[in-house]
Amino acid sequence: MAEDVAPLGLLASALAGRALAVGAAGPGEPAWTDGATVFVDPGAAPADRLRAVAVQASLVAGGSLAPDVVRPLARRPALARRYLAVEGHRALAANGDLLPPGLRPLVDHVIAALAADPPGSLAVARGPGALPDPPAAFGTLRPRALPAAADAEQAAATAAAAAGRLPDVDDDDADPDEDVGSVLTSPVGGRGALGRLLARLLRPARGPGGTGPVGAGAPARVGRSRPAGGAAAARGAPEGLDRAAAALGPRDRVYPEWDVHRRRYRPAWCTVHERTAPAGDGPAPALPGGAGLRRPLARLGTGLDRTHRRPQGDDVDLDAAVEARVAALAGVPADEAVYVESLRRRRDLAVLVLLDVSGSAGEPGPAGRTVHEHQRAAAGALTAALHDLGDRVALYAFHSQGRTAVHVTRVKGFDDRLDGRAARRLGALVPGAYTRLGAAIRHGAHVLDERGGTPRRLLLVLSDGLAYDHGYGGRYGEADARRALAEARRRGIGCLCLSVGAGTEPAALRRVFGPAAHATVPTPDRLPALIGPLVGVALGDRRAP
Amino acid sequence: MTSPARPWYVPVGPEEQVFAAAHRQGLAVLLKGPTGCGKTRFVEAMAHDLGRPLVTVSCHDDLTTADLVGRHLLRGGETRWVDGPLTRAVREGAICYLDEVVEARQDTTVVIHPLADHRRQLPIDRLGIVLDAAPGFGLVVSYNPGYQSVLKDLKDSTRQRMVAIELGFPPPDVEEKIVAHEAGVDHELAARLVQLGQAIRRLDAPGLREVASTRVLIAAGRLVAEGLPARTAARAAVAGPLSDDPLVGEGLGQMVDAYLADDDG
Repeated sequence: MAEDVAPLGLLASALAGRALAVGAAGPGEPAWTDGATVFVDPGAAPADRLRAVAVQASLVAGGSLAPDVVRPLARRPALARRYLAVEGHRALAANGDLLPPGLRPLVDHVIAALAADPPGSLAVARGPGALPDPPAAFGTLRPRALPAAADAEQAAATAAAAAGRLPDVDDDDADPDEDVGSVLTSPVGGRGALGRLLARLLRPARGPGGTGPVGAGAPARVGRSRPAGGAAAARGAPEGLDRAAAALGPRDRVYPEWDVHRRRYRPAWCTVHERTAPAGDGPAPALPGGAGLRRPLARLGTGLDRTHRRPQGDDVDLDAAVEARVAALAGVPADEAVYVESLRRRRDLAVLVLLDVSGSAGEPGPAGRTVHEHQRAAAGALTAALHDLGDRVALYAFHSQGRTAVHVTRVKGFDDRLDGRAARRLGALVPGAYTRLGAAIRHGAHVLDERGGTPRRLLLVLSDGLAYDHGYGGRYGEADARRALAEARRRGIGCLCLSVGAGTEPAALRRVFGPAAHATVPTPDRLPALIGPLVGVALGDRRAP
Repeated sequence: MTSPARPWYVPVGPEEQVFAAAHRQGLAVLLKGPTGCGKTRFVEAMAHDLGRPLVTVSCHDDLTTADLVGRHLLRGGETRWVDGPLTRAVREGAICYLDEVVEARQDTTVVIHPLADHRRQLPIDRLGIVLDAAPGFGLVVSYNPGYQSVLKDLKDSTRQRMVAIELGFPPPDVEEKIVAHEAGVDHELAARLVQLGQAIRRLDAPGLREVASTRVLIAAGRLVAEGLPARTAARAAVAGPLSDDPLVGEGLGQMVDAYLADDDG
């Protein structure tokens, strides 16, 4: 009777003191963790699963899996076993106050007292003393699955460092072909440093799906000794471009494109495939607090109106009061709504955030984090802030692979909840392929029209530059994107573009959107200062072409 | 004027002495702390100790100055002035407690400025008068720094007129005592509920908007006192209200099961 073990993740996180997911291990397999996820056998008895999760989470909490402690265990299973026998008890005892009461008998306080910290346990394990085997509930240690994931807490910040710790990985960012890796929507991508690393490893090997010659010569680079995660990564690999040329689905749409050279539209030129992003099965990345963003955004359209003839209010509405008095004296039923009330105008804004996930966003920016990570954080913060303010908000990601394969991925639709699943979908996005901005804007405007449902609508594009697509470069691409914006603005949709963390000033975007509707910020936390005026202008000028 | 029994409050630090000293000196008090940690109960207990009536106003984002100070109403052929709760407290020398003051509009919070500094006056523009606060008047505002609506922070000019008292969740042994007393359950169950609360407070999961407060733990205990099994009570009082996200809800349910496992036999 296999059950879903994912809900145990909350307990695991509480015991570990940081986000920790629980996933399914193979049948009969002892429990283990890679530092970001605890794997337990879903077929085991509920009490055994609970014990296994508590032990592994306590190991994470106790620092038992720190790289410098675990490294000596990598190729010595017997030592690892002895280490686990001591450290398991020590970590459980250290976490004693938090352990559910039913699990306390698991701790052997005699063994736990042998060591004061993980290095101490390692010393005991290396010593000559006889040690009992760890109980079955302790599961097993997989030291080689650990190093890159051990720091998952700061995965984003330390991704580069984690890659550096694995010398057998060819991590050549300077290769210009890196951009043309294919779409890799692996759920593993959400799992922090290891996931990204694997994504990077697999991407060039898979090639760009045969829609064009670009990138066909990309050399296949494969890690030589990372068996632990390879299988996991392969699970998510079949998704992607192979399906690009599939027949039109119910949510696929065809859009024209503006041909600046011939001064006319190319009808039915681009096919946009819309689908829902797969959720990663790692821990949901915390949606960045949009606190700083809320204040400037809240000011938009929430001015106080002094409303007359209200049944209650701060002051007496003199005109209404006089009329009511006259009516009363004349013997006519008097209107009792004789007050002036200051009311906040209802928010009537729908915002669609369109996140560029083309390959160029996967490059590290000046601050070490990739542009994609910056943009993703900004998209999450903006979505959360607008959502909390009561605006209708949707978050879509886009990239393209030629005119027949413009992919628009729904992370959060207008009617979807902004919950852990949406956060996981956002976290699982992996940048790849190119940017066909015009088609993405046209589809965004269509979605806003169709599902936005409010009179005021805003399309907010997060992009690092106007990358090319097959037959969509330079002047042609710019002209089409500008045309698409003009179409959207004519329909009353405010349009705005933000570049977050990009190394260079995206001059083309500035030309396309206009200087008043484009801004570049180095990190997402600079957004609050800019976003208010930008959105205000975009909404105010929305009728100007 | 005050009820005979003192509202039950267990001090964690010197908060009672600070409050009493501030009140004697006519200083306004700013209570900081997460929701459900006992701020309101603390003010009730202090008002009882100081022998002052308590006027509580729950602030919300449409609270206007007139709601606090008062307004003219039309009755028959004439206008009549009706005092708001703040004006009433100023006249009677009561303790006025503005709960969740950040929720109020900023143009509203400024009316407390002249009351909160040395002037201790309340100007009422609509009447053209300035009221001096009666002896014993005290202004207390509460504020939840971790609250979701950080959109409205407290203005510096308001903050610096206050003496701040920070309240947190009580330490486990005190919280256990509180849960046992308030809910009327035995210490064994109270300890388990508190342990569950402590575990949930360590979570940083998206979708978990507010942590398990002392208040929800007491609610769970009270359901148990009514005869419900512990796990059912905790699911209803702790897991249910904290999150609407089905994934998180299921995870919380698992935690409830883990911590209250063998209470149901």
